[in-house]
Amino acid sequence: MAKHIVTFTGYRTLHVPTGTLLSEAAQMADIEIQQPCGGQGRCGRCVVQVTNGTVRRRSTLRLTPEDVGAGYALACQTIVEHDVTIAIPPQEKIERRLATDRIASDVTAPLGYTPLGQPLHRLPLDLPPPSMSDQTDDWSRLQTALRQQTGVDSFRIDLPLLRRAGRIMREGEWQVTALVETDTWDRLDGPARVVALWPGHVPDDEPLWTVAIDIGTTTVTLWLVDLLTGRVRAQAAEYNAQIARGEDVISRIIYATKNSGSTELRNLVLETINTLLERACKIVQIAPEEVFKATVSGNSTMMHLLLDIPAESIRLSPFITAVNHVPTLLAEDVGVAIYPHATVDCLPGVASYVGADITAGVLSSGLDDAEPVTLFLDVGTNGEIVLGNREWLATVACSAGPAFEGAGVLHGMRATQGAIEETWINGESFDTSFRVIGGTKPRGICGSGLISLVAEMFLTGVIDKSGNIDLDLPTARVRYGTHGPEYVVAWGDETHDGRDIVISRTDIDNLLRAKAAIYAGFTVLADSVGVPLETVEQVYIGGSFGKYINVEKAVQIGLLPDMPWDRFHFLGNTSVRGAYLALLSREDRARIADIASRMTYIELSADNTFFDAFTSALFLPHTDLARFPTVQAAIQR
Amino acid sequence: MPVEIPKDTWTGAVREVTIGATAAEGGTRATTVTIGGATTMPFMHFEGSIPHRPVIAVEIVNHRPDDWSHLLLDAWGDAANDPAAWAKAAEQAGADLIQLSLNQTGADGNPITPESAVTATKAVLEASGLPLLVFAPGQAELDNELLVPIAEATKGERIVLGIAEDKNYRTIVAAALANDHLVSARTAMDVNLAKQLNILIGDMGLPLDRVIMDPTTGALGYGIEYGYSVMERLRLAALQGDAMTQLPMLVTAGYETWKTKEAKVGEGVPQEWGDWTARAINWEVVTAVALLESGADIVVLRHPESIARVRAAIDELMAVPAAG
Repeated sequence: MAKHIVTFTGYRTLHVPTGTLLSEAAQMADIEIQQPCGGQGRCGRCVVQVTNGTVRRRSTLRLTPEDVGAGYALACQTIVEHDVTIAIPPQEKIERRLATDRIASDVTAPLGYTPLGQPLHRLPLDLPPPSMSDQTDDWSRLQTALRQQTGVDSFRIDLPLLRRAGRIMREGEWQVTALVETDTWDRLDGPARVVALWPGHVPDDEPLWTVAIDIGTTTVTLWLVDLLTGRVRAQAAEYNAQIARGEDVISRIIYATKNSGSTELRNLVLETINTLLERACKIVQIAPEEVFKATVSGNSTMMHLLLDIPAESIRLSPFITAVNHVPTLLAEDVGVAIYPHATVDCLPGVASYVGADITAGVLSSGLDDAEPVTLFLDVGTNGEIVLGNREWLATVACSAGPAFEGAGVLHGMRATQGAIEETWINGESFDTSFRVIGGTKPRGICGSGLISLVAEMFLTGVIDKSGNIDLDLPTARVRYGTHGPEYVVAWGDETHDGRDIVISRTDIDNLLRAKAAIYAGFTVLADSVGVPLETVEQVYIGGSFGKYINVEKAVQIGLLPDMPWDRFHFLGNTSVRGAYLALLSREDRARIADIASRMTYIELSADNTFFDAFTSALFLPHTDLARFPTVQAAIQR
Repeated sequence: MPVEIPKDTWTGAVREVTIGATAAEGGTRATTVTIGGATTMPFMHFEGSIPHRPVIAVEIVNHRPDDWSHLLLDAWGDAANDPAAWAKAAEQAGADLIQLSLNQTGADGNPITPESAVTATKAVLEASGLPLLVFAPGQAELDNELLVPIAEATKGERIVLGIAEDKNYRTIVAAALANDHLVSARTAMDVNLAKQLNILIGDMGLPLDRVIMDPTTGALGYGIEYGYSVMERLRLAALQGDAMTQLPMLVTAGYETWKTKEAKVGEGVPQEWGDWTARAINWEVVTAVALLESGADIVVLRHPESIARVRAAIDELMAVPAAG
């Protein structure tokens, strides 16, 4: 048989017979090429570059025509037929080149941000000292100076600050700095309020701290923001401590109606918020009391529970909230441990099941100003979905459960250090390879890791379309565990705490239910407004997925509709981003209220349509495979 | 004025499924039963063709079922003591098919063994030439233990093995695949769930003309309308060309009926309810006929008298009115 010369640049040159795979040739040359999928041409990790000569490519999946033009080839799918020279790209370069990961855009202050437009101002004041000839009282003296500096006529001050004001002025020897809030969304014309007072002049470049908070049913996220620069200076997130009292909003509401349940739930979420606050403040080395405003986003139930406003009417027909537009409040009344007299602004919701998290999400996605028909999806414990553009907005909410946030899953965790965020399964040995956030030993699996895991299990036949684990597979990774059938993702000797990381049949069921609820939400929403899903031009995805959502994997399990990947944009946590934008700008705060008033809410419990769509989606990828042509093609391969 | 009856035109048809195999076909059955093939909704003879009439399977048990109503046991008499004799009696009563239910315990009160299950199955096959359905007790592990040896011992008979369910279908389907049998696939009253199980079974390589679906139903007064509506939707989808719903349907009308208070209880019920035996049989017959109207291809019955009456109903429903 004819032999050909294969030269691996920087490694060895060897002779191989016609028909040898490049991956085999590399192995003969002792070059390690990653093949997480087991050489089935699925993962694209074994890409090499043919720099000289020609090869025959059996498959070019995951390579663009440009890639192929540049000589890229999958080692496991490419056959040697002539003499060739091959370059092995470094691993990081491969990871970067794989284009299916959608990375959440970084947080940067909006272009042209200036603190001048803020209702919150820190003003250095030089007060004329009192004398026998100037007998003006301290408060009037302060007001006069403020009036001269701001042009605003009248000011209010709260009693605790009034008590201390005189001493502060004297301590600063009549040089003080005042923090003034000229207006809030519910008091557009003032009166302005003196929020805080410091002796002396606070340096101009000293940050003015504020905070944006998103209270998710499962995860609470907090951004510490310097209002002077508009920059997010610290972030912190943690599971909502209320989880222990119920995983979804309904069970929380029920818990709140029992005995002192509502007080307990309020305390639990405040505990989480205040812990996060301390953690974030520690990063920038300030005390929480140095934070002077908070905006809060979250679903309607979370908002009610935070404020300890009875939430039971949310659960019962006709599903009415106590309040959608919460007036501005004082931090000490809410219980958030920032400056006690700082304003807490809870963002407005639309209805019982469409809260501020979704209005804030729409704001941060810009959907309300989009030309083309756009789908916005917030993957949280409640999957909230908005379809529309600048002309119209329609929304549904469906309960997905906490699985995508890594909760309610045996070895689930948040997308933080130690979380498996992507998995590949070798289609022959059924062994796994995975990527861990922070590159450490794995501690658990986060939402995006679970999505890619289920997709891989499905494509390699570890589970069937219904999620049943095939216990007859020739691998010790499938077994009957204490929680029923399970699959071992990582063996104890490769994990952080020495225990096996597994996914159980029950976990898979939870994930299937979550994805089915969200997909059913899409279909019902699209049907009810008469927009075919495939005509949607862009899809914005928000949620606590960490940095990534692997669109391909999400489509393979039937979570996202099967459409070209470039239509998907991952925005990260859109709820906290909306709260952040509202913190920075009056206009954005007003826009959230406008969004709330424009949205048409479609109630899913009105008929059977949703349930039908749900059971239909409770399958991999879907009972109606024709809706997922690319997945159908992947299964056939 | 001539009345024009509106006709729907359908693109799909129900699959034809043949149960049982004669000696020439590799089995030992005297006859085979073919169901399905309809190109229209039930009994709409003017609109399409219904090449095969619905059939009656009679349920017998591997040993005398003491939990059954004595109305049933009295009617079957001594035959109920022995599955072979019972099968013969069922055939004489007019059954088209025999459905052997395996009880969790054997006649001696001990848990049923694979050996005794195989023995009972073979005895039934010898006693009656009718095609057979064998349903295991409905406990995943036990079902697999029983059905695999039965499938192997009766290879080629084209028996319907049951019950394949979402969480437990692999072993049963594999056994049917390897031994030339069929499976009955049960799902909980939902169109999508039924489709999904059919897809899963098809994915294992079992041709769909060897699958019957049991969409689950309730007896008259006990949710039959839900079952009716699901069956109707399945049949409509089948006629509209959805391949995964184009399977004939089996319903266990007898099992459902004999759980109802109306059939089970003779004392302490209002006098207007009338004679107990007559009421119980009426209940089974009306349940079965309603399910035939919603598209059942096999109704499984328990009382001998019900068999005759349901058969009469099928005769009438299948009589094609003269044209004009």
